[in-house]
Amino acid sequence: MGDGQKRFYYWAMAPAVLLVVVFFVLPLLQVLWLSVSEPTLGLQNYAALIDNPLLHRVWLNTIRVCALTTLIALTAGYPVAYAMAQVGEQHRTLMIFCIVLTFWLSVLIRAFAWVMILRTEGVLNSALLCLGLVDQPVRLVRNEIGVLIGMAHYMLPIAVLPMYSSMQAIPRTYVDAARGLGARAWQTFFWVYLPLSKPGIIAASVLVFIFSLGFFITPAILGGGRVVMIAEYIRVSFDETLRWGYATMLASTLLIALSLGLALVARTINVQKVFGA
Amino acid sequence: MTGHNFWPRLRWTLLLAGAWSVLGFLVVPMLIVVPVSLTDRNYLSLPEHSLSLRHYATFLANPLWFASTLQSLLIAAVSAAASVFLGALCAIGCWRLSNGWSAAVRLLMLAPLIVPTVIQGLAMYRLWAAAGLYDTYAGVVLAHTITGIPYVIITVSASLAGFDVRLEQAARGLGASALDTIRLVVIPAVVPGLISGGVFAFIHSFDELVIVLFITSREIKTLPKRIWDGLQDRIDPTIAAVSVVLIVATLLLLLADAWIRRRRAQRRSIAAGPIAIEPQGRAA
Amino acid sequence: MGDDDNKAARAASHSLSLDKLTKRYGQQTAIESVTMNVVRGKFVTLLGPSGSGKTTILMVVAGFITPSSGRILLDERDITQLAPEHRNFGMVFQGYALFPHMTVEENVWFPLRVRGISLVGAQKRVREILDLVQLGGLAGRLPGELSGGQQQRVALARALVFQPDLMLLDEPLSALDKRLRADLQWEISALHRRLGSTFINVTHDQEEALSMSDDIVILREGRVEQSGNPSTLYERPATRFVASFLGESNFIRGQVSNIESDRFRYTVQDRSFLQAGEAAPKEPDGSVLVALRPEKISLAAEPTNLTNSVEGRIADFKYFGSTFYLQVATKLLGRIMVKTPAASATFNPSIDAQVWLGWSPDASVVVKAS
Repeated sequence: MGDGQKRFYYWAMAPAVLLVVVFFVLPLLQVLWLSVSEPTLGLQNYAALIDNPLLHRVWLNTIRVCALTTLIALTAGYPVAYAMAQVGEQHRTLMIFCIVLTFWLSVLIRAFAWVMILRTEGVLNSALLCLGLVDQPVRLVRNEIGVLIGMAHYMLPIAVLPMYSSMQAIPRTYVDAARGLGARAWQTFFWVYLPLSKPGIIAASVLVFIFSLGFFITPAILGGGRVVMIAEYIRVSFDETLRWGYATMLASTLLIALSLGLALVARTINVQKVFGA
Repeated sequence: MTGHNFWPRLRWTLLLAGAWSVLGFLVVPMLIVVPVSLTDRNYLSLPEHSLSLRHYATFLANPLWFASTLQSLLIAAVSAAASVFLGALCAIGCWRLSNGWSAAVRLLMLAPLIVPTVIQGLAMYRLWAAAGLYDTYAGVVLAHTITGIPYVIITVSASLAGFDVRLEQAARGLGASALDTIRLVVIPAVVPGLISGGVFAFIHSFDELVIVLFITSREIKTLPKRIWDGLQDRIDPTIAAVSVVLIVATLLLLLADAWIRRRRAQRRSIAAGPIAIEPQGRAA
Repeated sequence: MGDDDNKAARAASHSLSLDKLTKRYGQQTAIESVTMNVVRGKFVTLLGPSGSGKTTILMVVAGFITPSSGRILLDERDITQLAPEHRNFGMVFQGYALFPHMTVEENVWFPLRVRGISLVGAQKRVREILDLVQLGGLAGRLPGELSGGQQQRVALARALVFQPDLMLLDEPLSALDKRLRADLQWEISALHRRLGSTFINVTHDQEEALSMSDDIVILREGRVEQSGNPSTLYERPATRFVASFLGESNFIRGQVSNIESDRFRYTVQDRSFLQAGEAAPKEPDGSVLVALRPEKISLAAEPTNLTNSVEGRIADFKYFGSTFYLQVATKLLGRIMVKTPAASATFNPSIDAQVWLGWSPDASVVVKAS
């Protein structure tokens, strides 16, 4: 391709890149800068990472919830992805549609719906009381259980799609070969199919964990202020206390942690493919 | 004879049951908003004596809700259009160049999906305030355009993946300029990607909350923001009504997208690109 | 000696019978009423063009496809409904299907592993079989690191390691280049002789079928066209299809005139030819179709005194080093293909040269027209 031609395509990319660099990357860099310059130059803000027990708790909460969410999403999502890879075309379209629809529904509405269901006067508790399974309403919102349910609900589609994608790529012949060689169903699954679906599982875990870390809306609504994860903590630091140094430090820590995590994982998986580009 | 088939069939039935239970867990809880929106009481509850549409009336008649809806529609439409334009150009450029630069650009363009929205909001606040974009339509449109571009890039790239580069080369060889080629040859082929990208960017902007919380205060009160505020002080069934409307709207948009894709695929019988099975990262 | 005793004992027992196997997919019939018997220890090839149903039969035998009707009997036992994992057959798939996440050793260990034998316990057998297929040093490699021929051998080793009753091969050599294919044909035959297992091989390559098999079953559009040992099928094809699919044939249609006890005459225009054997099968109009292989025709620059003779001109010819392959245009019989060894050629062929073709009465054979 001639240089003149190339130039045209560079120009085509330019506006989007410019916009993103100026109005996205630069502000992020500013956040990083502010974390070491506000109120004064230096790493004092980061001292809180070591000193502040509240911050420790927030991080612990966050990581624990994210890890659990990832676990739940993978465990519940694997059978769905597996089934999707085996069933016929129409059946599969229906399943994909359920997933895609849920995925695109406003996260706000989903959290709201879960509040409807899980709160003390909500549907679930009413049903449990009615059936006589419990004497008192079960506390399912404003605690970690509610948050986990809400987050797992959001993350399931994100977990299923990459796993399905990699399962779809497993040629039938491997399973047939295993059976032909005498393998029973569980042997075929654990020794042949599961290992071959590993890339999808890894991709799914990465995606779910990454998105969970930065999650704001669902934990805020379902956690009711009792379960504070890092995203909400950042917002609170900014909104209510306007401590720029502290807030940007929190944000920077999260950003750096995410970047490191992605960089680590990028060695084993193709990050771009995972995100679909 | 059927004994040989028993265990496999049982396993399969259990698997399907399990899969559909999970899918049920995904879909059914969303349906709860429907009965709640039809309650005859004034507080969050299931209908007691009769179904009532008054909460829908409240939503539609209330000037504040109406204003928010309009704002959201406007902002979403404009930012989606901008995202499609910029994102498509970028995707086409990347696709054609296919070198180290374009790979880096692709990665860069994915950043708004990966970086948590809290951080994005925090970062944008300062710059928006300094640039006089705080609490303005332009400010929100700008923010949503940037965060919507990744969706367009993903869908258009997917469409381009199925497009034969040689068609473009043939056009160039026949004397068409780069711009003409893009206009007359490439764009028509990636229209499904453009439409899907536009739909997803629209839905993203319409539902976006976190960034809006950071860069607006009184002037701009998009629909999600009003719902959020409603959830903070007094949750009333109007929110359920709004939710139902939003669910139906999303459903219709997705169906329209799927239908358009299918029709184009039938008419042209070329790959319409994957049904967007990889919509990623609606960070919250 | 013990080995031979075992082989003999097993050879007497077990055989695989297919009884009127039929498989339909909606309106389409993949195989129709296929019946055959495979004797223990033989190498049988299912031969046919694509779509002839040969792979379907193999898949039914393996258990991956359930027939619409018919039965499969292994040593008198009906295994038609038995799941593939219970049949104890060794299968080599087209494309080999080596598990990409396992090393060569782990791949070969797999069938033993599913039968409850640990890696330690299996190691000896795995090494032995790998040596047998000449892959001794590659046990630790991954399939992705091997060449096509090596992958093929691993697939064979994996299928053989648990000493199955029956080996099923689905076009195992189709992905390999000519030289490699030839080498592996020798190797597979050697393996077969050495191990004494029964082999059912599926292929569309008739040379492969001829060179490797004890028996060949020729399939056409889902039905068995003819079966028998290679020389029977080659020398005495029953139908036009077999005569042209296996090797090459010229076809002559003539009216039957004189019939004697062990031979008859047929005429084409005004010339009559002598044919050994019965004048059957006959067409309704009293004509027969005679198949004549190119290599059975003698070529001379002068008239010959052979019983059957026709004259013509060389329209075209090709030189293959060891043979000449000629197209001879004859007024009587149309275009006749002739193959003749270059070493014993009495003259150098040239375009438009006049030649005389001749063949003996038992060089040709009567075939069914369709």
